[in-house]
Amino acid sequence: MVGKKKRNHPDVEELLARPWCYYCERDFDDLKILISHQKAKHFKCERCGRRLNTAGGLSVHMNQVHKETLTSVDNSLPNRQGLEVEIFGMEGIPEDVAQAHNQRIITGFYQQEADRQRATGNPGPGGQVGGQSKKPKFESPAELKKRLAEHKARKAEQAAGGSSGDNTPGGQNSPLGQSPASFNASPYPPAQNGYGAQQDTVAGYGSFAQGQYQPPYQPPFSGPPGSSFPPPQYQPGQSFPPGGFQQGFQQGQFRAGSPGGFSGYQGPPSHTPPQHGGLPNRPPSLPAAPGLPQRPSFGAPAVAPHQMQQMHQGPPQGGWQSNGWNGQNQNSAMSSAYPPHTQGYGDYSTNASSVDDLVSGAAREADDIDEIIRMAEAGIKPPKKGEPTLAPAQATEASATPTPAPDAVKTEVEKTDTPEKLEQAEKKSKKEKATKMIYSDAEFSPEERMAKMPRYAFVPDGKTETALVDTTTLPGVAGTVDA
Amino acid sequence: MAPAAIQFELSDPPTDAVSSLKFAPNSPTRLLVSSWDKHVYLYDTQDQEAGGKLIEKYEHRAPVLDVCFGADDNEAFSAGMDWQVKKINLETGEQTVMSAHGAPVKSVVYSKEHSLLISSSWDSTLHFHDLSNPSATHSTITLPAKPHSLSLTSSKLVVAMSSRLVHIYQLSSTSLLTSQANGSVTELQPWQQRESSLKFMTRAVACMPNDDGYATSSIEGRVAVEWFDPSPESQARKYAFKCHRQPDPEGEGTDIVYPVNALAFHPKFGSFASGGGDGVVALWDAVAKRRIRQYQKYPASVAALCFSSDGKYLAVGVCPGFENGQEDYSGEGATHVYIRELSETEAKGKGAK
Repeated sequence: MVGKKKRNHPDVEELLARPWCYYCERDFDDLKILISHQKAKHFKCERCGRRLNTAGGLSVHMNQVHKETLTSVDNSLPNRQGLEVEIFGMEGIPEDVAQAHNQRIITGFYQQEADRQRATGNPGPGGQVGGQSKKPKFESPAELKKRLAEHKARKAEQAAGGSSGDNTPGGQNSPLGQSPASFNASPYPPAQNGYGAQQDTVAGYGSFAQGQYQPPYQPPFSGPPGSSFPPPQYQPGQSFPPGGFQQGFQQGQFRAGSPGGFSGYQGPPSHTPPQHGGLPNRPPSLPAAPGLPQRPSFGAPAVAPHQMQQMHQGPPQGGWQSNGWNGQNQNSAMSSAYPPHTQGYGDYSTNASSVDDLVSGAAREADDIDEIIRMAEAGIKPPKKGEPTLAPAQATEASATPTPAPDAVKTEVEKTDTPEKLEQAEKKSKKEKATKMIYSDAEFSPEERMAKMPRYAFVPDGKTETALVDTTTLPGVAGTVDA
Repeated sequence: MAPAAIQFELSDPPTDAVSSLKFAPNSPTRLLVSSWDKHVYLYDTQDQEAGGKLIEKYEHRAPVLDVCFGADDNEAFSAGMDWQVKKINLETGEQTVMSAHGAPVKSVVYSKEHSLLISSSWDSTLHFHDLSNPSATHSTITLPAKPHSLSLTSSKLVVAMSSRLVHIYQLSSTSLLTSQANGSVTELQPWQQRESSLKFMTRAVACMPNDDGYATSSIEGRVAVEWFDPSPESQARKYAFKCHRQPDPEGEGTDIVYPVNALAFHPKFGSFASGGGDGVVALWDAVAKRRIRQYQKYPASVAALCFSSDGKYLAVGVCPGFENGQEDYSGEGATHVYIRELSETEAKGKGAK
């Protein structure tokens, strides 16, 4: 159980270490899976289905085999369609893109963590107490000396039998003040140092979180915290989203996970994860909002709704939707990569072979690599039964596709012997998949059946029988119906 | 991205099940619908807001099983349960009996190129009318089995029959025969006799507009695509695939298999639409062997499909499907006709050129 819990909220190094796809910003458990994803989604020849290793390889293949020019990488984000970058797995990703990605992961991670903490009222896992230690505190030697002096003075006082004891505020504060380093079991500082560009964001975040969470830890917890927060404390929080997040959104770099966290932000804190913005929630990639029970007495009042609103004026919902992910979901690649996005489908499906198939079962998906990947991530072994509805366009190998071949062969073998045929059919359907036919009459078509009903039956002039006459008697009656 | 009004429903649909839908050859908004309620309906589908306009309805003596346009947008032919093939003047409403079969007439098609009217009936005959020669009566071709569906290209006629038989006739020879045989019963040998590549009863057949081949569908959720060219290379290209199936919510791992009632090729792209008993319409790329798209489920079984001559609209006839062991059937109140407006490339497969 502990292990599982951890899976839900991987720490930031884990997130940063995950391989991800340059073309669609999706991340994966394993480099191998990433590579197979790229081959299936981005480097697959749409003509013959061949999977190449790189975009360059695909381009050469298209050129030589199909005499066509590849202009863009399939299923990729709008700004990543170019062929000039040679990507294989994680290799070849431009430095700036990689940095942006990492930054996004980090901000997303802390965003989500903050959301989680706000929603649950829990202090963060491990030593990350509510973000107080987010900002590494650097103490000058002079300060250290001063504190040491204070400490010594207190010790001396205690030793002298002072009654104030260790309950003094000073005593309590000292661990908080002293221990940023120890709290930073999480790699925050390295991240901060490593990605200089984001320092502003991070710093802003730190102060935001501090403003947010410090009060609950003040020993005398007096009154609802919401009212005890003077507005100025929120200033950092307010300024933070425009600086850090919105920028990312506008660049269209945010992926599924982070907006998910984000939209949790906009709703009431008690949101359950899958509803966040309709975006998929794949636990291994980015932590979902917590499934922990809410603690209303502590968590909910920590941020009163109006304060939430106030704090997040920065990334307004509308703006986010228009230039963020919702716009891109139109892209069929995206919706196929993120199947749970089925709300849009509810209206009607504009994309070819993705959503519906994924929803109604992977067996029908022509290209089920995605499903396999998802299952692999979920730790399920992929069923090897996946039978493509249509073979992935291999004209010359038509017979290799499961469906046509048996049909073609069988129809030649078995003649019109009905019982045998049915038996064959039964055998085959058992072998494949049990089926239940809505209409299975081999002799009469539905129209003929309907024609027999009194409702529709027609009695020709001078006849008393219904119109449907057995074919054998027909020559005799032919021509009697003249008009 | 897509506009909201991509499809609309005809406000005045037939009162009972739809048997066939046909767009006019020269107008993309003129639609004929034949129905089991003994009428043929003529719609103008231009006014989408109002759900189209019912121009006229033409009463028949019995349920109408098929309808098609004739030489122009004002001439139509109908085939019905009253065993008759009729010509309808859509302007005056005048109906002329072209011929009478010995059983209900299932399908009727008109070949503009050869001025030929061809009807097929459950009496296992085809009637050929040479309309360029009004004095000539029809000639009859006997078939080995009951025909279920007809489709033609500019040069060929495909007849799908029970016992999974498929005959392909060349219209040039049949039209020659018709002009010579004049009213007699002939035993014209088809150009090709085939057995369906599908194991179950053929439900519908539709020819590729480019005269290359045809698609058939069966009652067992499958569609086959074949080519006319009898060379082994072309025959090796034929394929079949499963569609219009759904996992059975009750039985684990069981699929409910629906009949594929309707097939229609897009007039320009090599793609075709299939409509099934599951109420789904899917577009397929016949050449690339891929599904292009699948539309949201209709409230009932899809009975008929037709692309407009310019390929801009797809008419979908929806009514309850007849199912196994059904004692009673009525499409009353549950019959709808939808007109779906297709975007430029909506029906265009990636591989199509």
